[in-house]
Amino acid sequence: MARDFVLPLDNGGRAPWRVTRSVWFAMFMRETISRTMADRMGWFWMIFEPLAIIAVMVSIRGLFRTGAEVSGADHVPWLIVGLMGFGLFRDNMMRPLGAIEANKGLFAYRQVKPVDPVLVRCFLEGMLRSFLFLLFIAVGSLLKLDLIPDRPLGVMLDWLSLWALGWGAGLTVSVISDLVPELGRVVRILNLPLLLLSGVILPVMYIPHQYQQYLLWNPIVHGLESMRLSFFAGYHTIGGIDMTYLWFWALSLISLGLLLHIRFAAQLKAH
Amino acid sequence: MIEIRNLYKRYHNHHGSHWVLEDINLTIPTGVSVGLLGRNGAGKSTLLRLIGGMDTPDRGEIVRACRVSWPIGLAGGFQGSMTGRQNVKFVARIHGAEGDIERIVDEVEAFAEIGEAFDEPVKTYSSGMRSRLVFGLSLAFDFDVYLSDEATAVGDRAFKQKARDAFKARVGKASLIMVSHGEGVLREFCEAGIVLDRGHARWFDDIDAAIAAYHRSTDGRKVTKPVVPKTLSEAKQILQHANREFEKAKLEFESASDDPRRDEPEDTLRWRLEDARQRMHDARRHVQAFHSNKTQKIPEKTSRP
Repeated sequence: MARDFVLPLDNGGRAPWRVTRSVWFAMFMRETISRTMADRMGWFWMIFEPLAIIAVMVSIRGLFRTGAEVSGADHVPWLIVGLMGFGLFRDNMMRPLGAIEANKGLFAYRQVKPVDPVLVRCFLEGMLRSFLFLLFIAVGSLLKLDLIPDRPLGVMLDWLSLWALGWGAGLTVSVISDLVPELGRVVRILNLPLLLLSGVILPVMYIPHQYQQYLLWNPIVHGLESMRLSFFAGYHTIGGIDMTYLWFWALSLISLGLLLHIRFAAQLKAH
Repeated sequence: MIEIRNLYKRYHNHHGSHWVLEDINLTIPTGVSVGLLGRNGAGKSTLLRLIGGMDTPDRGEIVRACRVSWPIGLAGGFQGSMTGRQNVKFVARIHGAEGDIERIVDEVEAFAEIGEAFDEPVKTYSSGMRSRLVFGLSLAFDFDVYLSDEATAVGDRAFKQKARDAFKARVGKASLIMVSHGEGVLREFCEAGIVLDRGHARWFDDIDAAIAAYHRSTDGRKVTKPVVPKTLSEAKQILQHANREFEKAKLEFESASDDPRRDEPEDTLRWRLEDARQRMHDARRHVQAFHSNKTQKIPEKTSRP
């Protein structure tokens, strides 16, 4: 067999960065295909889930006749922004849960580390969610919903912040759930309480004042409220929204996750 | 060249658990094919995984100054829900062969001969199909050293022969480090041997010496290198002996029928039976060769099928 291509050497021939890059690219292709093609309902659920929640919430509010506004923002755009932002965080946290398990067979190649599928999945989720958000904005605007952000740069920064927070959470829980599977289940259960406690569906302004300070412990609230503030010029929310607090969480979680991945790399590969 | 220095490895990482491998110091020179021997659980596969970089040692280091393959075997290497084609593409990409991906996929597809199944998820494959794919895949890259973990244990006769021929074509350019219970396979491919016993490794320049040492340390069975008979009577004698050995191995294998481990590819009894059968076939072929052309020269050593 004639060979025009020479396999690069591992030591010295190919720089570590180039190896990593080709692993990420290979992993990205693999994850993209399985995420969008293999699961036939994948695309459908990505679009339908927020639509279903919006439909349910709008009909409930219609039932109680509480008006179409939430503290200075239209209800449906307010809901869409919240659901999209929360979905970004949630998917970045949840998708890496199974990432290591699903790619165990590929750790036979020394080039592939357990952190690679996690990083790639987080990147992929972020890209998909960003695309989905843009799609909702486009379609919503065509439907005459007020979905054009007033301060686009602010929205983008908040979007990236929530992504980083989800990324950190994903890195951390991917290790923890692989070492202690029970904790993976706990993380899955935490999903719904987090949705309710992050002010996605229930506006944080409606929470009694003396409890609002506890809500502020949750970094997602900071991200979502900040994004709504950037989105809707007339929006007002509870005091104490601080993106520095969110970034403190995000950077801590990312560091913790990476440290765990380094410390437990051998255990994650085995099993 | 692969250098192993002061290598220690154990699995359950708390104090008191014993070392699977303890203070291994080896230098495997370039171009020398090596067989790894040792009883079940002696750490053969572990050492192979360490050499392949799939696992990290607890202490010590391994220096790979050449292109080393991943441990080619039945376990691992594929992601079950991806198709054969997607798996091949993935492996080509992580080896930095993005530009050459079409050629590699075509080559593997042609070698594996699994037809339509190439586009089916790997989890639906039989072990024979998996080994076809894994073999084709490993041959699509030019490694200096191939690591084989019982890679030839499954598959039908024709494919085994094809895999052997493909490997033989690489001799001179590439070498092998292999784990196998088949002594015939080891003799055929390897020049040197490493015997693992109670966590320690011993190097032998000659694979036959390694096989003999392995038997001395495990079951005390004396193993001699297969000799090529020079006369008809000698050939008959060897055949008789081989027949006896085969019957003995068969009896041992059959009497262990209630042991579920018997059907594993790792099982020693089964390999002993296979080896005995091989020797018997060889001996019979020698006798037949003498019968068919009595006037002719000594028959060459037949290659093992």
